[in-house]
Amino acid sequence: MSYSRRQLLRLATGAGAASLLAACAGPGGSSSSTSTTDGPISFAHWRAEDKEVFEQIIKDAKLSVRQDISPSNDYQSTALQKLRGGSVGDAFTAFRGAQFLEIAKAGVWTDLTGRALVAKYEPNLITAGAQDGKQLGLPYQLVFNTPLANRDLVTETPKDWDGFLALLETLKGKGVTPIAWPGGDAANAGQLLNVMVVNNAPTDDALGKIETGEAKVTDDWFLTVLKQYQQLTPYLQKGATGTSSDAALALFAQGKAGLLATGSFQVSGVRKLGATFPIDLLAPITTTADKAKYEGVFNATFILGVNAKSSKPDAAQAWLDHLSDPAVAGVYANGTAQHVTVQGVEYTNADLKALAPWLTRKTALAPRFQFSNLDVRGAVENAAVQVVGGKSPEEAAEAAQKVVDQKK
Amino acid sequence: MRSSRALYLFAAPALALYGGFFLLPAVQGLRYATTDWDGYSPAFHDVGAANLTDVVTDDDLFRHALTNNLKFLLVVVLGQTALALLLAVLLAARSRGSTWLRALFFLPTVLSSVSVAFIWKFVYDPNFGLANAVLRGVGLGRFESAYLGNEGTAILWVAVAQIWFHAGQMMVVYIAGINQIPGELYDAARTDGAGRWQQFRHVTWPMIAPATALVVAYTTLQSFKAFDLILGLAGNPPRSSLDVLATRIYSTFANSQLGYAAAESIVFMVAIALVTFLQNRAARVAHG
Repeated sequence: MSYSRRQLLRLATGAGAASLLAACAGPGGSSSSTSTTDGPISFAHWRAEDKEVFEQIIKDAKLSVRQDISPSNDYQSTALQKLRGGSVGDAFTAFRGAQFLEIAKAGVWTDLTGRALVAKYEPNLITAGAQDGKQLGLPYQLVFNTPLANRDLVTETPKDWDGFLALLETLKGKGVTPIAWPGGDAANAGQLLNVMVVNNAPTDDALGKIETGEAKVTDDWFLTVLKQYQQLTPYLQKGATGTSSDAALALFAQGKAGLLATGSFQVSGVRKLGATFPIDLLAPITTTADKAKYEGVFNATFILGVNAKSSKPDAAQAWLDHLSDPAVAGVYANGTAQHVTVQGVEYTNADLKALAPWLTRKTALAPRFQFSNLDVRGAVENAAVQVVGGKSPEEAAEAAQKVVDQKK
Repeated sequence: MRSSRALYLFAAPALALYGGFFLLPAVQGLRYATTDWDGYSPAFHDVGAANLTDVVTDDDLFRHALTNNLKFLLVVVLGQTALALLLAVLLAARSRGSTWLRALFFLPTVLSSVSVAFIWKFVYDPNFGLANAVLRGVGLGRFESAYLGNEGTAILWVAVAQIWFHAGQMMVVYIAGINQIPGELYDAARTDGAGRWQQFRHVTWPMIAPATALVVAYTTLQSFKAFDLILGLAGNPPRSSLDVLATRIYSTFANSQLGYAAAESIVFMVAIALVTFLQNRAARVAHG
């Protein structure tokens, strides 16, 4: 095939114009999906460990759904940009807090208020998916961000801080690591902060107030939190600040640690590594028994939604309808060892049955997600890591507060 | 005239692509750096030079990332250049086994950075890792470490992984340089009674100066761009002890602060330009 010079010039001009237009996508420029309504819908989420269960649900229902799974940190960082395009995530999930709010601000949630599927959920467990009176998303999974306990090793449940330290000493005496903590993995290291804060904080929204400037990292109550981290340090595994999440999980699953300071979302991971011991939840009560407000922490993460930019909204809504059926939600719950917010679900998984009493216990909504600025959250969480690494609580708090002041 | 028109014609697609995908976004980046745009909202506000001023004068996280980047750069440039040179000098001569050894040292270069991160995560793990196991095995258990969990030195352990990753590639550059040196120079040096060290000092080292300049320049650029290996080893987002400029900008973008990320990118670009300038000056001085 040969071209004349004029044709080549036109081709070059066309290519240049196209690239210029592509580069001109600035503020307010949104790219709408050009995909057809044929083919599977995209279900975007971050829980790779749920892939098989979702595949089974999709197969059983003969639905045309493709899972687009990203690692949780990447999902936190980039999901919104992908969802805005509409080609990924016809149905999608979001983290509670900053990501939920950002997606709302970008107008990507489809308002589900008044739709039949909403009535299938426990109303007080889906408030994290509502904004300005609209039910934008449906928190699906109910996780407890409360340390896991190996009940073969941990036979008591301390009711106060001194009792907790005594328990750790007993565990140490048995020759096991009292607490496995993934201090080298920022995302999972922060889980412990939830339970360290809930009873120490003067108000339930105290962490959020640090970001707004109404409270400080250097306030007495947060210094108490950091000093308690310092007290925990001798009971954490060797090299705790450099330990990955997988390594901490392995220590616990192998019975070498009494507690795993993450949460119920890792129960299935522990079982996959071959652990057969009974698992319970056990939060450090950081105050005296009479001052303790909460026994643990839960979170309403994994908020399901329909993408307003999708070209297949009906199919995406049908997928959510299906997931909201108690029988299907039961398949998800029992297959992933996670509780769900759908009403009338029968838990057959042994771990879920064992942890079911926690559904009615006094637990707080995880405070860590009150931060909307990830730099502020990182600075506050890093203060705790630095204390475990040997820095004084006062120094760590001051360094963190400086960052908060700069970033808020 | 005809040849000049043909020149423009053939250059047009490349110029259009370069303009559209590099120059224009670069200019837009400058514009966004003066706004508080979050990256997706239709509206944004002009903030003038506030972003740039904050990045330069009032941002501990950025300053910390810059410091880490410079530490990383220094260790990688020195370590990688020295190791590559040592390997090249030892393996440049064709001898039995040298081809296999070259291939062995070059092997890490063909791996993906994700694989390299996975390998070194295993090496550095404080409880199950190879490094501590070896220390225990040779009776040096008291030197066991948390490696990536050490606030002050974590970035240096990443630098070690980076050196392992790319030293083989630089070794090949040095071997090519050494093989260009005329054998007569070594013959003359030997006739004058030069030993191996003197041959290296007075023949090899001066003759491979261009290769060294190339290795240092490439390694510097590579160190500044370090991103995926760090995310792979440190997780996303890396905590401040492992944050470098590229990961910091990425985190700021992920934090829905595109305007501020653009300002950080500009400072990043200036830092690269400055280091490159200083490096060129140093090279000129060194080579007269």
